[in-house]
Amino acid sequence: MEYMMERTVILGSKSGLHARPAAVFVQNAKGFQSQITLSKNEKMVNAKSILSVLTLGAEQGDQVVLKVDGEDAELAIDKLASLLEGDLG
Amino acid sequence: MAKIEVLAPLDGTVVDLESVPDEVFAQKMAGDGVAIDPSGRVAVAPVTGDLVKLFPGGHAFGISTGDGVELIVHIGLDTVELKGEGFENIATEGQVVQAGTPIVNFDRATVERRGKVMLSPVVSSGAGTIVRCASGTVRAGLDVLFVLEV
Repeated sequence: MEYMMERTVILGSKSGLHARPAAVFVQNAKGFQSQITLSKNEKMVNAKSILSVLTLGAEQGDQVVLKVDGEDAELAIDKLASLLEGDLG
Repeated sequence: MAKIEVLAPLDGTVVDLESVPDEVFAQKMAGDGVAIDPSGRVAVAPVTGDLVKLFPGGHAFGISTGDGVELIVHIGLDTVELKGEGFENIATEGQVVQAGTPIVNFDRATVERRGKVMLSPVVSSGAGTIVRCASGTVRAGLDVLFVLEV
């Protein structure tokens, strides 16, 4: 069965999604088969590309939206949402 | 298969990425590459492409090329915490840059006074595999740092 899931989270990482936390997030995203996007305001990017994720310029407290489409969507969205809400470093 | 030469973005000495004291870079989570122990004051574009990301604080930038190649230059470790102190952006995010275009000026002494390690990872986070890599001393914008096969 295919799932398409969406979740809005508040970014917890204290320096925002800068290079290091983006790398950790993307590394985790790449571990899932689903297609995953991350968006802030109107800008949506591939969550499996570090540089794309960095272009969002997301800061602590920003609202970002995860969209996950694929067989492991449920697992992926739980894991990735909790990473974004926590302190990625 | 195309080969893309990635120039050194910094003057300095090439250091193995695995020996960088930051597990995210050392474990290559951000991508394969090397680090440079910088001796100069300016960071330049390692390839021609779009400067898709230049942090306001100047501590890191990323360039993407038409071939899906993405390069990230991170000047010093944990330098996001300096919020721009010791860095001065020369280029503008979103502009097209030629290999060798100056992107950021930085001052090693200021960064080290704030307790940060100056080792600077240069990683390939997009398409391509590193097939050859420099060692020893490299010059910014002049010497090939590594070659990517895409």
